Amino acid sequence: MRRVLNTLRDGVGFDTLLVIVALTYLLLFAGLPLIYNVVISFQHVDIFSLGTLFHPSAGWENYTAIFTDPLARTVLVNTIVFTLASVALQFTLGFAVALFFDRQFPGAAWIRGLFLAGWVMPGLVVGVLWNWLLSGDFGVINYVLEALGIIDDPIFWRSDVDYSLFSVILANIWYGMPFNMILLSVGLAAIPDDLYEAAELDGANVWQRFWTITLPMMRATIGAVLALGIIFTLQQFDLFAAITSGGPAGSSTVAQYWSWQLSFREFDFGRGAVISVLMIVVVLAVALIYVRSTRAETRL
Amino acid sequence: MTPQIELIDVNKHYGSFHALKGIDVTIPKGQFVALVGPSGCGKSTLLRSIAGLESISGGTLKIAGEVMNKVPPRKRDLAMVFQSYALYPHLSVRDNLTYALRLRGVSKAERARAAEEVAAVIGLGALLDRRPAELSGGQRQRVAMGRAIIREPKAFLFDEPLSNLDASLRVRMRKEIRAIHDRLGATSVYVTHDQIEAMTMADHVVVLRAGVIEQQGPPLDLYARPVNRFVAGFIGSPAMNFVPATVVEGGGAVRLDAAGGAEVAVAGRVEGGRRVIAGIRPEHLDIVGADTPGAFALTVGAVEPTGSVTYVSSDDEPEILLVADGATRVRTGDRIHVAIAPERVHLFDPESEAALG
Amino acid sequence: MTPVWQDRLFLAIALALAAIYLFPLYWMYVTSLKTGSSIFAVPPEFLPGAPQWDVYTGIWAEANMPRYLWNSLVIATGVTLVTAGIGAGAAYVLARYRSLWIDAVLFTVLMLQVLPPSLMVTPIFVGFSSVGLLDYPRLAAILAISAKTMPFFIILCRAAFLTVPRELEEAALVDGNSRAGAFFMIALPLARNGILVGALLIFMQGFGEYVYSASLIADNRLQPASIGMTNFMEPNVVNWNSIMAFAATYVTPILAVFVILQRQIVSGLTSGALK
Repeated sequence: MRRVLNTLRDGVGFDTLLVIVALTYLLLFAGLPLIYNVVISFQHVDIFSLGTLFHPSAGWENYTAIFTDPLARTVLVNTIVFTLASVALQFTLGFAVALFFDRQFPGAAWIRGLFLAGWVMPGLVVGVLWNWLLSGDFGVINYVLEALGIIDDPIFWRSDVDYSLFSVILANIWYGMPFNMILLSVGLAAIPDDLYEAAELDGANVWQRFWTITLPMMRATIGAVLALGIIFTLQQFDLFAAITSGGPAGSSTVAQYWSWQLSFREFDFGRGAVISVLMIVVVLAVALIYVRSTRAETRL
Repeated sequence: MTPQIELIDVNKHYGSFHALKGIDVTIPKGQFVALVGPSGCGKSTLLRSIAGLESISGGTLKIAGEVMNKVPPRKRDLAMVFQSYALYPHLSVRDNLTYALRLRGVSKAERARAAEEVAAVIGLGALLDRRPAELSGGQRQRVAMGRAIIREPKAFLFDEPLSNLDASLRVRMRKEIRAIHDRLGATSVYVTHDQIEAMTMADHVVVLRAGVIEQQGPPLDLYARPVNRFVAGFIGSPAMNFVPATVVEGGGAVRLDAAGGAEVAVAGRVEGGRRVIAGIRPEHLDIVGADTPGAFALTVGAVEPTGSVTYVSSDDEPEILLVADGATRVRTGDRIHVAIAPERVHLFDPESEAALG
Repeated sequence: MTPVWQDRLFLAIALALAAIYLFPLYWMYVTSLKTGSSIFAVPPEFLPGAPQWDVYTGIWAEANMPRYLWNSLVIATGVTLVTAGIGAGAAYVLARYRSLWIDAVLFTVLMLQVLPPSLMVTPIFVGFSSVGLLDYPRLAAILAISAKTMPFFIILCRAAFLTVPRELEEAALVDGNSRAGAFFMIALPLARNGILVGALLIFMQGFGEYVYSASLIADNRLQPASIGMTNFMEPNVVNWNSIMAFAATYVTPILAVFVILQRQIVSGLTSGALK
């Protein structure tokens, strides 16, 4: 006992304890659910069998149900479109803004920081704001588009099956752009000025400097930002809940929202878990690529 | 009398890396010991093992007669001055100085008095309320010293404390540290890669290479009687010339592979015909007249005057360097004659590199 | 063009960009101050005519704002305490050592950071309900949210601890600190700023959290403001001025903290995110 106390005070016991506590917590509330998730994806879990730890086995039934569900195809396409469109536009706009603010005029850093006001907002509130902005009859966005002559009739963003997913993408671009921008800004600031000066002396114009210096030097940052963008976009839930609730007719349902709907609206936790298992595999795969590549670049 | 610090067959492994190999050092109370060697030789590891910041894998470490192998640093009663000074940036100079006293439960009034006293010794009285970030490099170094001397530890440990100072300050602090050591009657272990620091400050020098003690002893012994080529080359500045040579019949002289096969008389007894490495300190070669007995001729390659002395190197391969008087007028291409006293020529075995004769 | 004029031009463009970007926030505040009929005016009024402050007093009582905000505060505080209390120590150890074990832990933490809450909530809900944790809904939500925020917090704080030189703790050990003492007296105070920024970000996340609260807290009296907002919207779907007033009341504290601590938040965020 004395020896244990001593190592806790003076030896590696203290450090071990600190890590073990955190690790235990994470394994209990994240690791265990991860495994339990796989288990219940093979079980019948409904509102009546909830209270018990073990539920009737379902075999592959939940999986077949998901794959044969008429909504599955739509959800798959929606998830891919939502992720790619969000990441591509968040990144492009974020990079453009970052490049603009990299010019270090007076006030640049402060104004750039204002953009993060969007990022610190609760996702649900952002969704509600965009719900109002995108309102069909009285939405300010429709008004501006009509005033500019881009559209003739108002678009019913949230209730038109052709636009519902797009309305969430729009909100998500607004929400995620600042994070992309700030990380890319850090990457840009890390490029030494004398590289640009040397290139200028070598006769490179602005465009050539961007392609031959900025982009190659930013490779690691760009990779990290894109990977983080995909990861965060696959986590997006609040905007769907606040803008379209996945509708109409599933036209704006993505996998992470569908999983939740099956569990908490239809109380079919087994099927909810199936989508959860499949999506977590995807997210972890992206994260694995990200962690491996950043470790190679920065040695953590 | 019990030695203040005693290391008996100390070994340290990091995984498969054997960082310290069978270290035996005995440090009597009041001695100033320098651990010196090239980077990666294990000198810092050895110091940190004494402090308890590293645990030793084998052997015995005693401080004031007590075995300390498993004792945590706080119970060893040592003080350490770090290379980076390691001043606590969130504490004032006063709180930095008295941090150790605070941990020992010394009263506030007592601590204030001790801080004033030490500040006077290290000459920082006016700076007690500043933060470390507001001090110059030299002042920080003094605070680090003050933090060590404020209590009376069993020994002081120094880990290259002067290497972040500029050259002139370094020379001054060398003397001050030694003076403080003498005044306190302290026991000090001082790690440095600079052999001049080791020579000028220490009573006892320990030369390490690759985790092994190559030689230890008083500084001038190491200079005069290096046990191998490594110590010979490491101690002394500029470094000793090493010239391959063959011992002539009878063993009283060697024929150098350089300087046109010149013969140099030696004092050591080595059998004739044997291949050796002759070690000649640059400051032991004198430029002499051509008719001086034992003199041999060199062609001057480069001449580097410093004012006080002039470094002259021959155009041999390997070149032979000598330290000439600052007033010398030799120029590149000149033929000069040099001589060395036979007892000052060192001979080393080409294979084992151990000293011969 | 002289540099001065160029600076001014860039400043003007920057302000215009920021204005466009921040328009949704502006629109939230403007709408919240309009009357029930003027919110539907065509063309919309971009400047509020007569601010209707009583919308705020109205929803404060009618929408149970105090209760919802209190619950959000409880959840955010709980999440911050659990996350920081457990995470800071682990972040410290992960910053101090390099070994295969530490790498494995770090890797685990990084991987757990990416799990989407809307996917994790299904097993957590089923598991919590079978062990009876759902009887304490706010605690259940705090525990679940903390598992999500902790990896992020650990990564952020680890970056802060990496800036504290190891030698400072070694000096403390020689000076007489125990291992634990050196952590609490030296490492922790020196990494304080990074830890506080991390804790603040976690608090803001906890304050705005939705998925776990919506799924784990069934009792209306214990739900936080994010759910309160959806509850309020359903019967009031055309009262956009009230909804925006609710939103403004909810997020103004967050935005205020952000504006005051903008610099620290941005630097804390960027130091952790790319490492």
